Amino acid sequence: MGKRFNRVLSCVIATAMTSVSAVGQAASARVAFEKDVRPILREHCLDCHGAETEVKGGLDLRLRRFMVRGGKHGPAIAPGDPEGSLLLQRVRDGEMPPSGKPVPAGQADILERWIQQGAPTARPEPENIGPGLGVSEEERAFWSFQPIRRPAIPTLSESDGARARTPVDAFALRRLRERGISFSPEAGRMTLLRRAYFDLIGLPPSPDVARAFLADRSSEAYERLIDELLKSPHYGERWGRHWLDVAGYADSEGHTERDDARRHAWRYRDYVIKALNEDKPFDRFIVEQFAGDELVPQPHRNLTPEQIELLSATGYLRMAADGTGSGANDELGRNQVVADTLKIVSTSLLGLSVGCAQCHDHRYDPISQRDYYELRAVFEPALTGAGWRTPAQRRVSLYTDADRKAAAEVEKEARVVAVEKGKKQAEYIAAALAKELEKYQPPLREQLHAAHKTPAAKRSAEQKALLKKNPAVNISGGVLYQYNQKAADDLKTYDARMVKIRTKKPKEEFLRVLSETPGKAPLTKIFHRGDPRQPKDAVGPAGLTIAAPPGKPRQFEADDKAMPTSGRRLAYARWLTGGEHPLTARVIVNRVWQQHFGRGLVATPDDFGALGEKPTHPELLDWLADDFMASGWSMKRLHKLIMTSTIYRQSSGHEASRAAEDPANLLYWRKPIVRLEAEIVRDRILAASGALKPTLFGPPVAVKADDAGQIIEAKEPDRRSVYVQTRRSQPLSMLTVFDAPVMEVNCALRPSSTVAPQSLMMMNSEFVLKQAEKMAARALREEPVYPTPKTEFDAARLAEALKPRWQYGYGGFDEATKRTGSFTHFPHWSGSSWLGGPKFPDPKLGFSSLHKTGGHPDRAADRATIRRWIAPLAGQVVISGTLHHPSPNGDGVRGRIVSSGAGFQGEWIAKTGGVTTAVKSFAVKPGEAIDFITDCRAHFTSDSFSWNVTVSMKSSEGEELGVWKSDEGFHGPVPSTPAAIGRMPERVARAWELAYSRPPSEVELKSALDFLAGQIRYLAANPTSAAGREPATFAMANLCQALINSNEFLYVE
Amino acid sequence: MTTHNPITRREYLSRNAMGVGGMALASLLAKDNLLATPAAKPTPAHSFDARAKSSQFPPQARAMISMFMHGGPAHMDLTDPKPELTKRSGEQYGGDVQFSFVNRASKALMGSPWKFKKHGQCGTEISELLPNIAGIVDDICLVRSMHTGFNGHEVSIRYWHAGIPAVTGRPTLGSWLTYALGSEADNLPAYMVLSDPGGHPVDGVHNWSNGWMPPLFRGTVLRPKEPRILNLTPPPHLRGELQRQNLSFLRSLNERHLAEHPGEADLEARIASYELAARMQTSATEALDISDESAATKKLYGIDQKATQEYGTRCLIARRLVERGVRFVQLFLGGQPWDSHSNIRTGLPSVCARTDKPAAALVMDLKSRGLLDSTIVHWGGEIGRLPVTENHGAAAKAGRDHNGQGFSCWLAGGGFKPGMVYGETDEFGHKAVVDKVTPNDYQATVLNQFGLDHSELNFRYNGQEKTLTDKRACRIVREILET
Repeated sequence: MGKRFNRVLSCVIATAMTSVSAVGQAASARVAFEKDVRPILREHCLDCHGAETEVKGGLDLRLRRFMVRGGKHGPAIAPGDPEGSLLLQRVRDGEMPPSGKPVPAGQADILERWIQQGAPTARPEPENIGPGLGVSEEERAFWSFQPIRRPAIPTLSESDGARARTPVDAFALRRLRERGISFSPEAGRMTLLRRAYFDLIGLPPSPDVARAFLADRSSEAYERLIDELLKSPHYGERWGRHWLDVAGYADSEGHTERDDARRHAWRYRDYVIKALNEDKPFDRFIVEQFAGDELVPQPHRNLTPEQIELLSATGYLRMAADGTGSGANDELGRNQVVADTLKIVSTSLLGLSVGCAQCHDHRYDPISQRDYYELRAVFEPALTGAGWRTPAQRRVSLYTDADRKAAAEVEKEARVVAVEKGKKQAEYIAAALAKELEKYQPPLREQLHAAHKTPAAKRSAEQKALLKKNPAVNISGGVLYQYNQKAADDLKTYDARMVKIRTKKPKEEFLRVLSETPGKAPLTKIFHRGDPRQPKDAVGPAGLTIAAPPGKPRQFEADDKAMPTSGRRLAYARWLTGGEHPLTARVIVNRVWQQHFGRGLVATPDDFGALGEKPTHPELLDWLADDFMASGWSMKRLHKLIMTSTIYRQSSGHEASRAAEDPANLLYWRKPIVRLEAEIVRDRILAASGALKPTLFGPPVAVKADDAGQIIEAKEPDRRSVYVQTRRSQPLSMLTVFDAPVMEVNCALRPSSTVAPQSLMMMNSEFVLKQAEKMAARALREEPVYPTPKTEFDAARLAEALKPRWQYGYGGFDEATKRTGSFTHFPHWSGSSWLGGPKFPDPKLGFSSLHKTGGHPDRAADRATIRRWIAPLAGQVVISGTLHHPSPNGDGVRGRIVSSGAGFQGEWIAKTGGVTTAVKSFAVKPGEAIDFITDCRAHFTSDSFSWNVTVSMKSSEGEELGVWKSDEGFHGPVPSTPAAIGRMPERVARAWELAYSRPPSEVELKSALDFLAGQIRYLAANPTSAAGREPATFAMANLCQALINSNEFLYVE
Repeated sequence: MTTHNPITRREYLSRNAMGVGGMALASLLAKDNLLATPAAKPTPAHSFDARAKSSQFPPQARAMISMFMHGGPAHMDLTDPKPELTKRSGEQYGGDVQFSFVNRASKALMGSPWKFKKHGQCGTEISELLPNIAGIVDDICLVRSMHTGFNGHEVSIRYWHAGIPAVTGRPTLGSWLTYALGSEADNLPAYMVLSDPGGHPVDGVHNWSNGWMPPLFRGTVLRPKEPRILNLTPPPHLRGELQRQNLSFLRSLNERHLAEHPGEADLEARIASYELAARMQTSATEALDISDESAATKKLYGIDQKATQEYGTRCLIARRLVERGVRFVQLFLGGQPWDSHSNIRTGLPSVCARTDKPAAALVMDLKSRGLLDSTIVHWGGEIGRLPVTENHGAAAKAGRDHNGQGFSCWLAGGGFKPGMVYGETDEFGHKAVVDKVTPNDYQATVLNQFGLDHSELNFRYNGQEKTLTDKRACRIVREILET
């Protein structure tokens, strides 16, 4: 690293805001006022020394000659003499600026050099200069403010021409060729299929669709696929979500802790989805969102479906957090709503942050404070006209006149009952009062009666005092129950009748809209330093100065007489989409590009200004923008153009020589791999589990906090994420952990993080575990659509392993053969013991029972307890254990160990103490039983025992095969094994398809089967681990969870 | 983990050098006017991690524990003795007072019902309500001139945490610290919040918001009861051997996938993140388990007493977290127990009894373990209280209304001067009059102790370079710093 770079870098670090040209200039380089010095002054000084008519200390720094002239303290600069220049001294001393960030040394150096060089200007300074900072030639020359021109499509060599399918390719390939590299080869068909699905509809292709696509060898198959996906109603859900990010969509008001629900915002969400599905021309889409209400006659009643749609569209301007209905209805709270709305407008469509111009002229971009308030004036009639309206006051009812009439009829009916009730109540009160008054003597009785009869407002002071003194006579409807419960109950039946009648009213629904009260446009004023309490000059509605095509007007009529409303927003929207605005189309196509490639041609989608990134492919950006407008602002056409281009169809593989030239892939020599966005991760999980319903639209799915404080869906998840309620204070945990935005204002670019909480969510959350179980159930039930690869799989052996190792029963020992005489399973499980029946002792089997560590034999010889172990494999077993008889009474118990293969292995007697029951190594075959028989001996009394045994098994070569402990392995009834186990390869294949839309490879299938077999054996041998779950189903759920957790599931190439 | 992805010199710098968070520097570099040529131009980073990063200049502190005292502790009853107020108790106050509760407003001065005494070698006067904090005055730096200028709770809370009064949606101090410095704990979140069994504090989740920063920089809430961290442990049927089998199978899936996509750093990072998560299950559980602490330690924190058991346990957990490399820990109280509008004579002693001993123990314990030098401990609320009575009729029911004009907080460790008192309120404790300190000053000073310049540590959002102190006028309060 060179020294110069070092210095420059540290300067950059020190300043963070270094002017564009401050970097990379040698000390001797010529410095020009307009290009180098003015941006520094703009950043630090001009707020007080030039932007406003009144300049501090009489010093205006906008022109060189003003600086030489100086202010109250004399000339600010002495050309050629940095030492003698007050400006430099005060900057170096840190005295100026008086507050805020000091001028970094690197910038002060530039000032010094400029003065040293005689303070040159690039051109003669203007004779006259208007108020404010204006726009300099240098600023106007900035790339994003240039008109959009359609560049010529580059001509390519013949071989390159063959690779370029579209003009997009031609532009991209030219850049690659400049560096001697080219596109990567085309991606595989499966990759293209999944890429197209996730990009366009955000859902995986079903296995059937995938198989059909892979089989379709025609050359148009891919293009057909794109066409089909663009027709899918799920397209709007996916791309609508992008726009909702930009619009700052939320189902709650935010700003205050209450964070009230926005009950009607979803109609805007549905409007967006529908508009995108219809491929509504984007210019029209913008016009409707900005001014849909201006296209609907007022009053907004008896709305047609089209009018409802137009009004819903204005929800866009009602997305900013709004606390004015929930505790923050003050000057600041209201101003915040307006400021946030302007922020959403400017970042979503202008690609500029105008926010800082709220308080002062923008320090880096040519946006003046006046510009900001002129823009504000466009929205002000609707936002603040006719007084501030809270969210509830801005709703538009969907009641038609007919609805209203019907509702009034119903209300009339209810009133009849109300009148009846009133009459009845008066009667009851009169009766109760009469009874109460009996307690009083005349004349007090009559006085009280008269006071009660007199309406409250007409009572004399005396009467009031009287009633106050005798509270018991103050009988009203509310306290009637205290005097006559029956009467009160009777009155309630009238209420119930009224409620019932009122349910007949048509349901009243509302729209969240922005609308204007005609003729109430307020005068917009510039707020001094952004403080709404300090209004200054009045301004009219206009677009940004810098965005106006040279020589074209940017002001709008303050009140369009042809319209009932002011017409300002409509005029502005038309100006934005008129085809000459330098930013609108560029910003939109850049955003589409960004969603397809993970990065925009301009990497800062919300900042096309001086602090933003420059485009990597300026000509391509312009061509796309121009083509977009020329072809009717069709989003779907733009998608198709991009997606059918070679640049999009490349593989994502790394390639050393290309990577060496362009390591960050800024020139697109490959298609980057990207992690799925939060919503797609969740939707894909639901698709795999089969829980996802394809239902479109409707009110949001409610969320709640679970016991652990995590935000989850209130009901079983079954809808796409775009329909889940986005409450600002309660964002769905599954989504936010994967970087879904919590709307503070809006979101132009989501981060993509890789952090442990995501992994914990995928490993341990109830949501993922449950969906994995559902997916497993599906895999066990459904047939794969692809042929399952051939593989060796010993189902019989696994089925054998699945048989429970331990069984519990009773029977006898045949003294003659020294074998188990009989074995019958205990019929009843108590939850902790095996016994004869729910009653203990059982009428038939008596005391015979077994529990985790021991049991109790019954008196009859054929009702001894038998704990049986079944050998899973062939091998040599060794047995250890202790038979223990705790009671000081009786004659103890006898334990015998008998193998169904090798026969009698020994017997032991335990009485009031323990005895070791060790058996030396003997051979068993799979399926053979070893019985642990306990009987009561001669006397049947005090025969409770414990007998923990351990069976250890080795192969004939001495390899450990397993250890089984009777207490650890103790279990209740075991669920039956699914027949599915016989077709485990097909089950795995189906799980693979559900996760990845493709069949497993042979290697994958084998590895999965090994995993399943191993885990099933483990679970069979450790029933406590299975915790009552059927091992094959449980292991399959674990397999499915691993698939859901895998990178192939979370990323798309 | 190996990275095959060749990185450019600038990417290298943005990830490793110069100390500012990756994104911060990347965006600084983005100011560079070099043409958009691929070999030299970094993409603006929009991926983030929690790896430890070095500071901008050598730091004094590497961790911080903040005991946030919601509601506005009555400084004239706790940390800021006002003999004049006591003397003139009951008289009418002559100054202008801004009340929050006008219906109960009164201008009758209320002297502190509690006695103050000098403590320690420094002789700082502390109220009898805080006998344990009185015992550590030689280790703390008491600031008596805090000032937000706003009496409202939320307004001032947001100012304290996120830099601008009243504004929500901004990242909090903990976000900035972890964004800039990452975590030194391999297996624990960098920014942890210890919430109260009594529920969320006033202003709820805004207290640990990441604002417009990625969620990675939001405070991870340790719940007051098990499970303390969400999703940290699998349900019982998946623990141990089974999870090991499942993760090993997952790893085999991911490795096969990676083999088909060599050089994808992001895929490798995710494989590593599952391993980290698995380790976290053990290490976080261990960090939160205080059973291996000695009886003496538990006694120090008051865990053996009912009144202090809960807060003491959390203070002890805070120490254990910091010991393990967690960057920023903040303890909250449910609701706002210091909001003594009424019954201050009973309410204030009760919240003191709950927190005084654990808070002092934390400082003593950190000191005895040699951790105090590198750990900042903060104690304080968002506002203080008025010197006049909030009128509830009877004297016994009296309280004090909000006061953002002057109040106290204290700091210990991490290079703050021990045994020091800084700043003064007026003779009634109403307004900070000498050496006023604002929340922005506090933030700038804390960042400075971490080796970070508040005006240079920035994050790009909506096309703007945002900072914690938002270019508001503020200063590093060097007078309260050692050297």
